[in-house]
Amino acid sequence: MFEKVSDPKDVILVEGQIPIRHRYTPGVAGEAFFTALRDSGKFVASRCESCAVTYCPPRLFCERCFEGPLVSNIEVGPEGTVESFSVGYTGLEGEPLDEPVTVALVRLDGADTVLVHFLVDSDHLMIGQKVRPAFLPKGKRTGSILDLRGFTPAG
Amino acid sequence: MTARRGKKRGTGNLRSVDVPAPPTSFLGPRPLRDAEFRQAVGAVDFAVEARYAWDAGIAVGEYLRGLKRGVILGRECRGCRRILVPPRMFCEECFRPTDRWVEAEDTGTVNTFSICYIRWDMVPLKDPEIPFVLDIDGASPGMGFMHKLGEVRPDDVRIGLEVEAVWKPEEEREGSILDIRYFRPRDASARKGARRASGRKKTSASRRKTSVGGV
Repeated sequence: MFEKVSDPKDVILVEGQIPIRHRYTPGVAGEAFFTALRDSGKFVASRCESCAVTYCPPRLFCERCFEGPLVSNIEVGPEGTVESFSVGYTGLEGEPLDEPVTVALVRLDGADTVLVHFLVDSDHLMIGQKVRPAFLPKGKRTGSILDLRGFTPAG
Repeated sequence: MTARRGKKRGTGNLRSVDVPAPPTSFLGPRPLRDAEFRQAVGAVDFAVEARYAWDAGIAVGEYLRGLKRGVILGRECRGCRRILVPPRMFCEECFRPTDRWVEAEDTGTVNTFSICYIRWDMVPLKDPEIPFVLDIDGASPGMGFMHKLGEVRPDDVRIGLEVEAVWKPEEEREGSILDIRYFRPRDASARKGARRASGRKKTSASRRKTSVGGV
């Protein structure tokens, strides 16, 4: 009944782009964590005495009993233990990776919670493996989680 | 702010007895300050790529192609004998397909208008924009579209004012409603600067070209 469009070039498209930008700030506890990471290569944690749980990365509020604000003034690590890991062969957009990446949950010594980061320079992966952090040189740190290249096997 | 809070902090929470109020310097009842927002350590900036393409469809697609040729197209419905501008492939009154393409005039009358001293993004304008709804000649009553008026003083605009399209030169048209630069009064004496403009029409038109094109 209608003149159907048979040539894709005949389709009139109105193109546009919606500008959406955002900035995520890591909050009071997150800033304490990233500042210590950048300036002194240390890991800080916060502790809820009521639950006897030490959070690293630190939390402003205890997620078990909602107590807070907790102060991020405890140093943990730098060594830790691999609690779990996963090997990724595809990137975020589904593209195959030349080199697989290993993402691990690392519980730093003295902490009760885990930190997500890469395992680097590690051939045989094992839950329970002791690891230590591999930092960027001090001048290259920007206050990002990537100031840490990842964790490598300790010893 | 404190008085409006119905309960005291921690009321009803068994654990609250021993919990001191948070120090306000640490976690005050205030939003993030601008400097804190900008200088936050560990902040992550990200821009979402939200691009889209909207298919104009059969009726409006043809309408836009018509504008590129310098004609305003409509569709006729033989059920209600109306001419629909902008065109649609279905008649919303008869609930049946429309029947044939027709060309409307590029003249009409002002149905309603507005005088805007700020732009859509709230930038103040020295010379106001005058968006209006056109009742287009050659189509049924109430048919037409929104556009802008030009070459007219805001005080001279009236409902019922007869207007005509000022088209872009053909090589500049791209199949858009903006292929019509604006509408101006058909009566040359009602146009802005009419008394002086008789011998200098080209100058005033080219000056306007930059101001309208820049919006």
